[in-house]
Amino acid sequence: MKWIDRNNLPEELKNLPDSSFESLHQEDIKDEKFQTKPVGFFRDAMIRLSKSKVSMISVSCIVLIIILALLVPNITGYSFTEQNLGNKNLPPKIQGLEKLGIADGTRVLENRKKDALSDPDRYPEGSVLEILREFDSKGVAMVDVKVDYYKYVGAEDNRYHWFGTDYLGRDLLTRLFQGTRISLMIAFFSVLTNCFIGVIYGAISGYYGGKVDMILTHVAEVLDGMPYIVVTILFMILFGSGMVSIVLALTITGWIGTSRLIRSQFYRFKGREYVLAARTLGVPDLTLIFRHILPNCVGPLITRVMIAIPGAIFSESFLAYLGLGIKAPNPSIGVLLADGQKVLLQYPYQTLFPAVLISLLMIAFNLFSNGLRDALDPTKRGEE
Amino acid sequence: MKYVLQRIGAMLLTLFLVMTLSFMVIRLMPMSLFENPEVPKEIQEKLEDKFHLNDPLPLQYYYFMEGIVTDLDFGISVKLRPGLEVFDIIVTRLPPTMLINFLSLFISIPLGLIFGTIAALKRNTVVDHVISVFVILFISIPSFVFASLLQYLFTFVWPLFPTLYESTAVTVGQMMHSLVLPIVALSLGPIATLTRYLRGELIENISSEYLLLARTKGLTKTQSIVRHAFRNSMMPITNTLVSLITGIMGGSLVVENMFAVPGTGGLLTKSIFAGDHFLTVAILIFYSAISLVTILVVDLCYGLIDPRVRVGGGK
Repeated sequence: MKWIDRNNLPEELKNLPDSSFESLHQEDIKDEKFQTKPVGFFRDAMIRLSKSKVSMISVSCIVLIIILALLVPNITGYSFTEQNLGNKNLPPKIQGLEKLGIADGTRVLENRKKDALSDPDRYPEGSVLEILREFDSKGVAMVDVKVDYYKYVGAEDNRYHWFGTDYLGRDLLTRLFQGTRISLMIAFFSVLTNCFIGVIYGAISGYYGGKVDMILTHVAEVLDGMPYIVVTILFMILFGSGMVSIVLALTITGWIGTSRLIRSQFYRFKGREYVLAARTLGVPDLTLIFRHILPNCVGPLITRVMIAIPGAIFSESFLAYLGLGIKAPNPSIGVLLADGQKVLLQYPYQTLFPAVLISLLMIAFNLFSNGLRDALDPTKRGEE
Repeated sequence: MKYVLQRIGAMLLTLFLVMTLSFMVIRLMPMSLFENPEVPKEIQEKLEDKFHLNDPLPLQYYYFMEGIVTDLDFGISVKLRPGLEVFDIIVTRLPPTMLINFLSLFISIPLGLIFGTIAALKRNTVVDHVISVFVILFISIPSFVFASLLQYLFTFVWPLFPTLYESTAVTVGQMMHSLVLPIVALSLGPIATLTRYLRGELIENISSEYLLLARTKGLTKTQSIVRHAFRNSMMPITNTLVSLITGIMGGSLVVENMFAVPGTGGLLTKSIFAGDHFLTVAILIFYSAISLVTILVVDLCYGLIDPRVRVGGGK
């Protein structure tokens, strides 16, 4: 009865009880009512994402690392700058695990004079655990000896360094997660600035098109032609080391990819009818760009951001290896790796933990961004 | 031809920009050489004369560019090898670097293509899944982490290779023995990248309609894949080659230093640490030149593989 104007119904017809109606349909209606709420694009994507086990595992891995990075430096009881030259290069020692023989703070000292073993100044009471090999070198009795290194250097009994200490006696567990914090921050900020510049540049270039687009694209192309590493290193030398300069150096050429993506999305959407309609209604350019066209780019943009984060973490460690990393007392994963590399063969644990962490972080981010891309753009699923 | 010229022009422009940036680095950085009070005044004046420090900045810029373009004069090393011409230092350091870079590239391309093809043909089988796992591992883990791992495993636990580059190595065989680990460390990532891209491209092409047509007109599966799918997949792959090359070159900067290879990578790290900016900048310009030329070659290959690129340079 659509053609009756509801507003002009006589008063007595407006509030009729249900009982005065009778269904024309004799049988039961087999249709089910929609129980669910309507699902929007992002909700749909999130549902798809949460169904992928790999994505869920990697995202929980990322979250776990972030939580650890926020928590651990505050609860270890050591500060990441606290030096203790008496306790340098201590091996890992963990409560509980030490009884199993893993991470028990022992170390094998090779080619020691046997006579010195009984000297309590050099080998304090109880520090010698086991003599592994006795041999004779030019008439002097030598031994390889396994010692409790913590007792050997005279550290207090209740001192535990889960990941050991570095060449200045700083607790590596604290430094590792403080470093993770800094690395993640660098990655986050550099990606954020990249996005910001890229979105604006790409939006202007894509929306206005024509000459503006031509000039902007050429500028970006020339910048992009410069080898990324060279530009980054040159800028790092110019700015000096430090967090801000790393973020800036990573931004110099990093935004170009984002701007390209946004530009192509704008080219796709700016000719659509709904944009034309909005323009006809007198919507100004800025509103068109940000309110009407840009939301279409959010999906690919998120994917790109997730792919860019491991890239930024990688670049940061790369710069640290070249001595252009973060300033001295501050750690970052790259700085720790580079420091550990110098003593790799003597103290492999100093490289092991940062290496495992950066690998985990990179793998998790890569898997998660794959999953995210599949979720946001199901047509590309499985293409890798 | 016009296409080639265009590419070369773009390359020169980029190189010019890199050099300008380099000039900025050299001139804007505090340089102890010119300000060191221990250097006698006359020598300092001579230095100032040589580097035209008394002229206005634009003129200095001009001399800097002129020196590079006409005499390959990149300045002299200030701290690392005081007094030596930067250009000569680099030339002696170049061979091991080039060896590492090109060997890594030449190893990773065929291996990447092979694994990519296998993964695509055996899609969704155990083989494919195993390859996928390795791909994600090798793409994610940075080359310098691999370098550390390899160094620890194969020089300390199983001493198969020398820990550091053997400076006594003279023959190519001896050099190669020292270079195996850095090359492997640098190749893993690119192999994985290539595998991943080729797998994606091949799968897309294999399931496309034109391949079905090729089969219906009587080609065998092998013929259709080799002649059509593979060839069409190569075009996007060529694009990834560029990022592959720059990736290898960047990685080698660090990895060379880890294995003490007497190449430009180690030199760069040392010169950055020492603040020897002439040297740093010259190495970076060299790197840019090499990578730009390689990219140019790839671009031209692109034209060879895909006739459309050759013809359709314009709009």
